[in-house]
Amino acid sequence: MKRLLTGILFLLFTVSSIAQQSQKLASFHVKGMSFAQFSTLVQKETSVQVFFQEKWVKKLQVEVSLDNVNAKTAVEQALLGSGLEVSDWHGNLVVLPAEKLLAALPPYDFEDKKGRPDTTSKVLTASEERYLTGRNADVLQILKIGRKGGHLSGTKAKITGRIMDEESGEAIFSATIYVTEIKAGAASDMDGFLSLSLKPGVYNATFQYMGYQSKKYQIEVFSDGEFTVNLKKSVIQMKEIVVYGDPQMNIRAKDPGLDKMSIKAIRELPMLMGERDILKVSTTLPGIVSVGEGSAGLNVRGGGSDQNAFYLNKIPIYNTSHLFGFFPAFNADIIKDFSIYKGFIPAQYGGHLSSVLDIVSRQGNRKHFMARGGINPVTGNLVVEGPIKKDTLSYMLSARASYSDWILSKINDPVISNSNAAFNDVSGGLNYDIRKTQVSLFGYHSYDRFSLSDLNEYEYSNNGVSATVGHTFGKSIRGEFSVIGSQYAFSTIDKQDVNKAYSHDYKIEHYEIRADFNHAISDRNTLEYGIGTVLYKLDRGTVDPYGDNSLRQEVDLGKEKALESSLYISDSYDVLPWLNLTVGGRFTMFTPMGPKTVYEYAPDLPKEPRNITDTLYFDENKAIKRYNEPDIRVSMNFKTDDAGSIKLAFNQMHQNLFMLSTTTAIAPNTQWKLADYHLAPSKSNQYSAGVFRTLAKFGIETSAELFYKQTTNYPEFKDGANFLNTPNVETSVLQGDQRAYGIELYVKRSLRKLEGWISYTYSRSLIKVDGEHPWDQINNGKEYPANYDIPHSLNVVLSYHPNRRLTLASIFTYQTGKPVTYPVSVYYYNSVPVLDYSSRNAYRIPDYIRTDFSVTIEGNLKKQKFMHSSFIFSVYNAFGRDNPYSVYYKVEDGFIRSYKYSVIGVPVFTATWLFKLGNYVSE
Amino acid sequence: MYQNRHIFIATMLLFLMASCIQRFDPEIKSTDAVKYVITGQVNSGDDVQRINIGTSSPISKPEIIPVTGCSVKIIDSKGNEYPATDVWNGNYDVTIPKSELVPGNAFKVEILVPGGTHIVSDFDQIQSGPPVDSVYYEVQSLPTASPVEFTDGIQFYVDLNAGNYSCRNYRYDVVETYEYHTKYPIEWWYNGLLRHTLPPDSSKMVCWRTSTLRDVYMISTKELAENSYKKYALNFVDNQSSARLVYGYSLLVRQFTMSDEAFKYWEKIRINSQEQGGLYESQPMSIKGNLHNITNPDQDVLGFFSATTVSQKRIFVKDVPDLPIEFVFNCVIGSLPWGGLRGTDPIKYPIYLPQRSIWIDDQWVSTYDLLTIDHECVDCTSTVGGTTVKPDYWPN
Repeated sequence: MKRLLTGILFLLFTVSSIAQQSQKLASFHVKGMSFAQFSTLVQKETSVQVFFQEKWVKKLQVEVSLDNVNAKTAVEQALLGSGLEVSDWHGNLVVLPAEKLLAALPPYDFEDKKGRPDTTSKVLTASEERYLTGRNADVLQILKIGRKGGHLSGTKAKITGRIMDEESGEAIFSATIYVTEIKAGAASDMDGFLSLSLKPGVYNATFQYMGYQSKKYQIEVFSDGEFTVNLKKSVIQMKEIVVYGDPQMNIRAKDPGLDKMSIKAIRELPMLMGERDILKVSTTLPGIVSVGEGSAGLNVRGGGSDQNAFYLNKIPIYNTSHLFGFFPAFNADIIKDFSIYKGFIPAQYGGHLSSVLDIVSRQGNRKHFMARGGINPVTGNLVVEGPIKKDTLSYMLSARASYSDWILSKINDPVISNSNAAFNDVSGGLNYDIRKTQVSLFGYHSYDRFSLSDLNEYEYSNNGVSATVGHTFGKSIRGEFSVIGSQYAFSTIDKQDVNKAYSHDYKIEHYEIRADFNHAISDRNTLEYGIGTVLYKLDRGTVDPYGDNSLRQEVDLGKEKALESSLYISDSYDVLPWLNLTVGGRFTMFTPMGPKTVYEYAPDLPKEPRNITDTLYFDENKAIKRYNEPDIRVSMNFKTDDAGSIKLAFNQMHQNLFMLSTTTAIAPNTQWKLADYHLAPSKSNQYSAGVFRTLAKFGIETSAELFYKQTTNYPEFKDGANFLNTPNVETSVLQGDQRAYGIELYVKRSLRKLEGWISYTYSRSLIKVDGEHPWDQINNGKEYPANYDIPHSLNVVLSYHPNRRLTLASIFTYQTGKPVTYPVSVYYYNSVPVLDYSSRNAYRIPDYIRTDFSVTIEGNLKKQKFMHSSFIFSVYNAFGRDNPYSVYYKVEDGFIRSYKYSVIGVPVFTATWLFKLGNYVSE
Repeated sequence: MYQNRHIFIATMLLFLMASCIQRFDPEIKSTDAVKYVITGQVNSGDDVQRINIGTSSPISKPEIIPVTGCSVKIIDSKGNEYPATDVWNGNYDVTIPKSELVPGNAFKVEILVPGGTHIVSDFDQIQSGPPVDSVYYEVQSLPTASPVEFTDGIQFYVDLNAGNYSCRNYRYDVVETYEYHTKYPIEWWYNGLLRHTLPPDSSKMVCWRTSTLRDVYMISTKELAENSYKKYALNFVDNQSSARLVYGYSLLVRQFTMSDEAFKYWEKIRINSQEQGGLYESQPMSIKGNLHNITNPDQDVLGFFSATTVSQKRIFVKDVPDLPIEFVFNCVIGSLPWGGLRGTDPIKYPIYLPQRSIWIDDQWVSTYDLLTIDHECVDCTSTVGGTTVKPDYWPN
């Protein structure tokens, strides 16, 4: 077919003038007719023959009502919106997908002369294009949008586009269109849709997405209309290619503090036990740290680990890790897009102070069956996907399970051999996509079990379902309606002390319904608005005595219920060609509800059971308290020149859900707790400013960002707090202020033989709990560093591709040691030595330094093959540094000895095998 | 195949055993000031009550630093004042009539340190508690770092039965005493001159050593349905690392009632000292007791002043069934130091020499060769805390 096209093209230049000759007019009034039948009709009426390929028009139902039109107009009308285009050819008509044969050379746009060199050149050289895809014609493609004469003069046409993956047929989220003439563009939403307003005319547009080849089109706008563009995955670039970075991505993206990561880059990086952990990789980005190995939480811009919202296809995930934080709780192969919002958080998100981590899963290949998977020493995983109905309905199924259990039993250590651990996760998605409507269903389940000898048993699981219907209303409004359910539950049995042995089950449920709209008012103005409600139901469970000998008293930690309703509106307006202003507002009403018994305490005494003065009873669904939470979000984006911009943002957030944890790492029995009668929601204001520049010549992007964040009502736990003893959390929690500030520097080089990034962050996170009375203070009311206050963090991530089948990668990480409270002196109580500790977090453990390496070997590059394999060999902590996780003191035989505990103090070598059906580039 | 499996397991071990614990000495700022430490209690069991005043010492050099010359008085909730006298080494003794040391009465301490610093405690109330219920032991094998080796010994327990009493918090002081012997009597020794005692002096062959265990043992029954507790584990004594179980071992368990404030203080100390060093360690904390520096409120005062009811029980252990003694007294026989006896630093006097022939490695060795033996081989008082005075509670 492509050869035919090339032939046609050459012919066309010579014969174009004769094409318009036969103009026999006819009338067509048909409904529900197949295109093949219609073309026969056209030939009968006008003697013009229509050439097309059967498979392109198979689904097409022709419905036209036309009087006195020529054959071409009739066919054009019949094909409207199908993505197919009709062209004249020797007096006959040829139907081609999304391409017009040129009748003449297009007017070339020379406006950008002083800008980047030759921005209209292709990103791939012809030779490489041929290498990858076979022979392809050098066609400058034209997109024709709307109908001639279909617009009212003087108004702008609203055009809606959809960006899809050429191979899998999946929508691409966050792909951009950049229109050179108006120096503006738009980004696609989760279903690949983007819209903008343009005056009728001819434009040069570039479509781009990270990890994909850019495409340039000449777009011809006549009136309101639609188009579809397919982008192709890019492969490793060769030397002669001129790359001018990703200017749209970085310079034009309107959100300061938004990070995106490509999944391919993550695959090649060295990872502990070969588990591709997107959350661990995110800690190499500026402003994000983790307090150590085996620690599930992330700390974003000096925030606690419960201040991050984590979504997988809109499902909130309340525990994001397997095996206590060593592994991620979901299969990396299902991830299509991963975004981290940490500076300016769009108004559609709320509820967590620090960040939003948003994962969008693959929707399933819409063209053909596809399978991929892998095996590493801990887990095996498999993803299958494919069309149920080609181009319309697709599915994706993923399963991953550990098989490490048998290994534990082989080990000659009584505690380990009697322990067992297992985890698994499954997910499945179904996507239905017809022109203006997309329906997607997604389900997720993860499960973990761990029993340490006969001391402890843990079990936890996440379950979630989301259903989304997206629809484009008219030309410029796109709406999405979602129903979401999520549940996280754990159960613990603690048998360490027979007398105090207990079992405890906990469950949090999240039910959400929401509607989100995106309205392109004009090419310079986009409005987003929406409304949603979340119903939280917590069953904090009962701490029950376990075993016949347990003397433990049963404690019912109680149930909680709350409604969180919000609405938001946000407008993004290009005030000037170089200035974009986004102003948004979000209003949330948080209502904890009965049934509940609440205690009142004497005003000037500690909140302890003995000081209870009154008991309040709230009936089923009765509001215990109403919290009104207005958030303001503002961002300004100044484009300083073609290669740089300055972004300012102000971000306000509220948080109603907290984690009850007294440990630095997130333990598997950490409970989530809602704000209630006593515990007020936290609130934060963040100010950030950033400078972004691309150095196109070197393929380098750079940024420097500053932030200052002030949080009030930050919940901090009293010394010795224990959340299993009492349902009344207010007796163990105090609320104070948190302040975080920092600077983040980032340099990234992409699409080169040697690529990667360097990030450096200086940031502080300080907490102050200075209530009026001594019992309402922590650290005597003085400010102290948060447990996760890491001032310096430097990460160097490099990958080198000597050839297409080999990648060498490394990660270097340096972090200041986390704060710690050390004993500073010793005294004797009846000859028992007792340690006196410093003020809270006054010291730091030694710095954390780690270097990892990996080698990725790709299978052969044959185009025709059944399956492609890759082998990844990695060494984690290659130099075997004992990075201390904690330093602690023990009194042994009267001596005070200090020890450091390292989670992983040796190099860990892993081999991983990954496979996928098809060839090297198949998707 | 067999070998392959081993390689695989070894790889896995590498991962599982990757976590490690090592000695580590962080640097502590000298500016973290030395603080006053007040410890002491009034209890219903003793005639004379003792308060100790001192300062804390650096971690690197732990020592007891007494503060003398303070003016100390104890005041009860009825307003009675009992001045204390500075007896020795930071100790201040006071006599309170037994009629006042009853549950329900509360006490506080007021101290004036010579520099002028004024320290006051909160009132602490005496709770009523039961006598110690029973103290007993079980023979146990504990796993060691090596998977094939176990340590045999006895684990002591105490039961609490306080059904009829109001106090829910108890702390235990555990004091152990054991008898131990040297291997030989003193015969030849050198302190500048070579000495020979005949008949050999066996007066330092049998000793007793008493020490307070340095662990914090506490029971709180607040989370429990009943005010009782079965088999609260105290210390473990093994049969190989010391002579404890060879000639007789005695354990004294003293049970103190605690107010809620005292419990919170001790509980924090226990959390600080025990529950650390894992993945999910909780934050250690600086611990405030019930003492306040009135003169300089910013300066914390360490320690706790408590009022308590005390009860005690002693248990004696010898010849435990099913527990063979594996302790071997390793009497170190050394050759003469460089320079001979005369060349030895007098600080090391006396130098003990073995008898004419001694039993080494399953045979009699003639000691015409010049050998020396360790002090522990002939003089039991050379062990710290050892005394040749037999405790009066020791069975004959």
